[in-house]
Amino acid sequence: MFPIVLLSVFAVVLLFLGFLKSRSVLLPATLLFLVAALVANFLDWNKTYLYFNSMLRTDNLSMVFTAIVLLSSFLVVALSGSFEDDEAAQPAEYYAIILFSLVGAIMMIGYENLVMLFVGVEILSVAMYILTGSDKRNLRSNEAALKYFLMGAFATGIMLFGMALLYGASGSFTLAGIASYASHAQQGLSLIFYVGLLMLLVGLLFKVSAAPFHFWTPDVYDGAPTIFTAYMSTVVKTAGFAALLHLLAASFTYVYSFWGIILAVVTAITLIAGNVTAVYQNSFKRMMAYSSISHAGYLLIGLAALSAQSRQAIVFYSLAYSIATISAFGVLMLVTRQRGMQTLSSNPLSNESFDAFNGLAKQNPLLGLAMATSMLSLAGIPLTAGFWGKFYMFSTAVERGQIWLLVVAVLMSAVGIYYYFRVIIAMYFRDGATEPIRISPVFRYVLVAAIILTIGLGVAPGLLQGLF
Amino acid sequence: MLSDFGTLLLFILAAFAFIALVLFGARFLRPDRPNIEKNSTYESGEEPVGNANIQFNIRFYVVALVFVLFDVELVFLFPWATVFGQARLIEATGGRWGWFALTEVILFVVVLALGLAYVWAKGYLDWVKPQPKLPTVETKVPMDLYKQVNERFK
Repeated sequence: MFPIVLLSVFAVVLLFLGFLKSRSVLLPATLLFLVAALVANFLDWNKTYLYFNSMLRTDNLSMVFTAIVLLSSFLVVALSGSFEDDEAAQPAEYYAIILFSLVGAIMMIGYENLVMLFVGVEILSVAMYILTGSDKRNLRSNEAALKYFLMGAFATGIMLFGMALLYGASGSFTLAGIASYASHAQQGLSLIFYVGLLMLLVGLLFKVSAAPFHFWTPDVYDGAPTIFTAYMSTVVKTAGFAALLHLLAASFTYVYSFWGIILAVVTAITLIAGNVTAVYQNSFKRMMAYSSISHAGYLLIGLAALSAQSRQAIVFYSLAYSIATISAFGVLMLVTRQRGMQTLSSNPLSNESFDAFNGLAKQNPLLGLAMATSMLSLAGIPLTAGFWGKFYMFSTAVERGQIWLLVVAVLMSAVGIYYYFRVIIAMYFRDGATEPIRISPVFRYVLVAAIILTIGLGVAPGLLQGLF
Repeated sequence: MLSDFGTLLLFILAAFAFIALVLFGARFLRPDRPNIEKNSTYESGEEPVGNANIQFNIRFYVVALVFVLFDVELVFLFPWATVFGQARLIEATGGRWGWFALTEVILFVVVLALGLAYVWAKGYLDWVKPQPKLPTVETKVPMDLYKQVNERFK
C-alpha cells in the first residue's frame, strides 16, 4: 500500500523535475525514489492488511512480489543512463511513466477485487504502450507500439468481458465472493462462470505472452527501445504471474479440474512454441523475445500444478529470470551502442544479431562474464539461480503428477541450451572486430550485482526460502 | 421466472422493436417526394468538398485530452458533493466529516491541477507554438551577394 502512494507522489515530482536545466538529477532521484518505495514496502512485514474497503491486500507474498518488481525496475533504471546519447529523449517523462506503471504492477500483485485487477492491468499496459513507442522517429518503434496497443486493447476487452460474466454468475467482484460461489462446484455452476473464467485467463495470459496469445511479443520486444524491452520482459511478466497466481489460488481452487488441464496444455504449447522458434532467430533481441515466451511457459508449470510449493517456485523463478534478463539486455545495449558508432550503419538489425557478440569476451571480460552468467542462468545450468528456478518449477509438476508436462519441459530446456550457448560461443570462441567498450561505473555496478545475485542464489537457494 | 439477464435481453429486443416500429411507421405515414436538394449531405445547402479523411492538427488531440480530463473531474465532483453535504454524517462526527471530505477532494483536484500546470508549462496550451528555429547557415559569402545573383538571373 505504501509503495502505491509513494510512487504516485514521486512520479508527479519527477515530471516537474524535468523542467530543471540539467538532466543529471533525474537518474539519482528516480533511483532514490525506488529505494524509498522498496523500504516502505516492507513496513507491513509479517502482517496482513486490507486497504481501501478490501480492495487491496498486503501480505508477505505480495510484498515479496512487489520487492522483485521494484528491484527489477531499479536495475533497469540504473542501466538507462539518463538517456544521455539521445537528444530527443524525454527522460523525466520516461521515469515518471515507469513509476506510474509500477503503481499498476503493485495493484496487480495485491488486488482483492477484480475491478482493482483491471485498473492495475490498464495502468501497466497503457504505460507500456507509451514506452514501446517512445522512440518517436523510429518506424519500428511506432509499429511495435501500434501493434501492442491494438492487440492489448483487444485482450483487455476480452478480459473485461470475462470479469463481467464472472460477476453475472457469482454476483461478486471480490475474490472471496467468487470463491464462495465456486465452492458449490458439486451442485453444478452456471456455464457463464466457466466462460468468464476462460476469458479472464485469456486476457491475463496475453499479458504474460503465453502461447497461443504470444504473437505480439517478438515484434513488440524487437521494436521497443532495448531499455524498455528489458523493463517489459521483467516487470510486466512478474506482475502478470503474481496476478494469475493470486487469482487462481484465491478464487478458483474448487474448479481446478476444469482449468488445470487447460493451463497444462497452454504451458506445453508455450514451451514448444517459444523454445523451437527461438532456435531459428538471427537477432539476439528477437531470440530474447522468444526466450521470454518460453520462460512464461516454465512459470506456467507452477500455475498449472498449483501446489503448496507453487508460490515459492514462482517467486524464485521470476527473481532469477528478471535478474538474468536485465543483465543480458544491459550488455546488449552496450554492444549495440558500440557497434552503431563503429559502423555507422543505419540498420539497427545488424547491430543486434548474434554476430555482434563475436569475440566480445577477449577485450571486455566483465561484459563477457555478465552475459555468460545470465545465459547460463536462463538455460538453467547448475550453480546459477535459473537452475534452482527450473528445479522448483519441475518439482511442482511432479507433486501434481503431471509427468507428461515435465517431459515436455525437460526436452524444451535442452533445446534452450542450444540458442543460449550460441551467444556464449560467439563471445568466447569466435573472432570479431572488438575494441574495449567503455563501461560507465553505474553499468559496472549493476552487472556485477547481477552476476553476484545470480551465482549467489544458485549456490545458496535457501537464502530466499527463509523469507516467507 | 425471468433472470436478470432475461430482463436485459427483453430490453434489447424492445429497443429493436421500438426503432423498427417508429421508422416503419414514419415510412408509411409520410409523403415520399425526394429531390436533389433533400438528398444532399447537408440540407442547409453546404456543399461537401474533398475527402473527409484528412489529417487533423495534432493539437486538437492534446486539447481534447485535457478537456476530457477535466470533464471527468467534474463528473466525479457531483457524487462527492452529495456525500460531502450529508447533514447526518456531519452531525455524527461533530463536523470532522466535512473537513475530511474537503481535504480528500482538494487532494484530487490538486493532482489534476498539477497535470494542467505541466501541460501549460510544456507549452501545449499555446495554440500557436513559439517561433520555430529556422536553420541558419554559417557562410563567409555575404547575403547581399546572393541577392545580387538572384536579381541578375531573375
